[in-house]
Amino acid sequence: MYNIRYKKMKAGAILTGASVVLLAACGNESGAGPGGMGGTNNGGGDGETIQLNIMQGKVEFNEQFNELADQYMSENENIQIEITSVGGGTDYFTQLTTRFSSGDEPTIFSVAGPNEIEQFQDTMADMSDTEAAQAALEGTIENVTHEDGRVDAIPYNLEGYGFIYNREIFEQAGIDPESLSTYEDLEAAVETIDSQKEDLGIEAVFALPGAESWVMGDHLANVYLSPELNGNPVDAYNAESLEFERSDEFKRMLDLQMNHSVEPVLSLDYSQQVEEYFSLGQVAMIQQGNWIYPTLEQMDPELAENVGMIPIPLEGHEDQLPVGVPNYWAVNSNNDEATVQAAKDFLDWMYLSDEGKEFVVNEFNFVPAYEGYEDMEISDPLSQTVYDYSQSGDTIGWVFTGFPTGYQLNEFGPNLQAYIAGEMTWEEAIEASKEAWESMRE
Amino acid sequence: MRNKELTFWLFITPVLLSLSLVVIVPVIMGLFYSFTNWDGLTITEFVGFSHYQRLLGDEQFIQSLWFTVRFSIASIILLNVIGLGLAMLVTSKLKSKNILRTVFFMPNLIGGLILGFIWQFIFIRVFAAVGEFIGVEALQVWLATPTTGFWGIVILTVWQMAGYIMIIYIAYLQGVPKELLESAEIDGATPFQKFRHVIFPLIAPAFTVTMFLTLSNSFKIYDQNLSLTGGGPFNSTQMVAMNIVDTAFSGNQMAYGQSKAIVFFIIVALISLTQVYYNKKREVDL
Repeated sequence: MYNIRYKKMKAGAILTGASVVLLAACGNESGAGPGGMGGTNNGGGDGETIQLNIMQGKVEFNEQFNELADQYMSENENIQIEITSVGGGTDYFTQLTTRFSSGDEPTIFSVAGPNEIEQFQDTMADMSDTEAAQAALEGTIENVTHEDGRVDAIPYNLEGYGFIYNREIFEQAGIDPESLSTYEDLEAAVETIDSQKEDLGIEAVFALPGAESWVMGDHLANVYLSPELNGNPVDAYNAESLEFERSDEFKRMLDLQMNHSVEPVLSLDYSQQVEEYFSLGQVAMIQQGNWIYPTLEQMDPELAENVGMIPIPLEGHEDQLPVGVPNYWAVNSNNDEATVQAAKDFLDWMYLSDEGKEFVVNEFNFVPAYEGYEDMEISDPLSQTVYDYSQSGDTIGWVFTGFPTGYQLNEFGPNLQAYIAGEMTWEEAIEASKEAWESMRE
Repeated sequence: MRNKELTFWLFITPVLLSLSLVVIVPVIMGLFYSFTNWDGLTITEFVGFSHYQRLLGDEQFIQSLWFTVRFSIASIILLNVIGLGLAMLVTSKLKSKNILRTVFFMPNLIGGLILGFIWQFIFIRVFAAVGEFIGVEALQVWLATPTTGFWGIVILTVWQMAGYIMIIYIAYLQGVPKELLESAEIDGATPFQKFRHVIFPLIAPAFTVTMFLTLSNSFKIYDQNLSLTGGGPFNSTQMVAMNIVDTAFSGNQMAYGQSKAIVFFIIVALISLTQVYYNKKREVDL
């Protein structure tokens, strides 16, 4: 009895084992493609084809990016480019990690913020010898530059946010939005518009998307946290604790938006805020960034021409727009030199050649983070505003990109939502957020 | 004998293989990772039980566990009551019973993510519009409060799964011998007595199956949760599965998320096994 069972088990183990090996072998074959761990086996000498696998987290311009790659490939016969675009923040990073741990590493990949850069530090090639790194605008590359001059990555583009207003509604209410530089000005304007809601035919002054915690926890909070973190994401990344020195200012701005918003705030999401309430002219202004422009244009081209953006008032920093670099390009150093160089050449070409610039500005609708775009017409008014502010240097940094991973999504954002719901007082919400920061920094 | 053995292993190997590849090996690897500081790429040290200790003080995890338990209780009761009710309806002498069966089963064919978005529209827009029209404020804040978020997910799940549970009950209801029902009628049993004392004990095996399905399903729900409320407002409707995904992927604490998953796995396994054991004892043979 014992013997038979033992035999059976042994047979089973062998069969199972053999199949595992077989399957693993298959996996290996398809896994170690060009540009993978085995960078050496895809040659890369002169005349040979160099494969550039690009993985990036901004799906919005995937199609145009592919067109650009096609053009580059037609000009450089020995380069093969394959692009993988994965949507939205967290999904992208998960997939990037997965690709790295499975050995199918991309040659060029995008990273956002100090946390991600830190995790992939060992696989990033030094970019300081690229022309793009030299041409990067002031303030866009310091965050990814080491003391010894090593540059980890180069910026994609610039983005900026503030209050985007509907000019027509403001004109009807007799207010010049561009003159609103302090909180008091803004509050008075909001009261005025609110009192004429019916005449203006709007539902509310703001549409605050309470369901999207990033609008409050990343963007709005950034304005009030940037002074204590010197407007620098690296300082945020290194901060052991937060003081919330500007907590009162933060609260009154959140209250102002919340009390004059379309209800119910907590189930209002991004698409309702932008596509429904703002682009149909049902609210006077929303707190958003230049990235909403293509959507506005698609919904109502006429309204899209009549929008503008003003900064969120911060005492002592009036008329400064929060502008930051949402993503960076990094080149994987686990490749042979020729491949790394080809990757750098491609990035240089994209941002600095005439064809590339044309694409960056007109097809990608990027606000360029590089010099040499002064003569080019930037495609939309919101991006123009962002570029103007960054040219003149009147900007506030994006410290939220240096928040601990998951801080806003799992801790800070929910606390702010609980405040809006009345489940927590302001003091409790801030206190809980301070504690969460400290425990995540341990 | 030898031949038989070979056939045995030929048949069992594919199952064994896939089971070990997608269940057993990952569980063992996961268990291993939960004792390390794995970040998705590298392991630098073993941390012993510290992740598990930290779990005990993780309020959000405990809250999501409690939410999941409450959700499971509500949806198990509703699912079984409604599923059985529907099954009784479509096994009665109704003319439209064949169409009704299809209709009730339909929601089950739609993916959870899509259903979530459809119901999000219904709760936020349709409910609000109806509420505004008839002047009921309570209908206008759906999914913006924890309570409405809770019932939103319950309604969605019940709507989706009730048809599936119905099918299982139909199979067992049709297996109840006619002569037993007839003799009960002759003895003067009321319809309720007939249900309580004849049908109910005979379909007890169905409870074992449906309870197991509803229990393990409602514990593991993720896609409906994600698309309907996304855990909001303020993570009050976050279930355990979502808490684990958030910890591991958006919080990028792979090993800690893994230890949560292990604890979750043990809880679900314990509850399901206990339930099957007790339900089995209640079944009667003819």
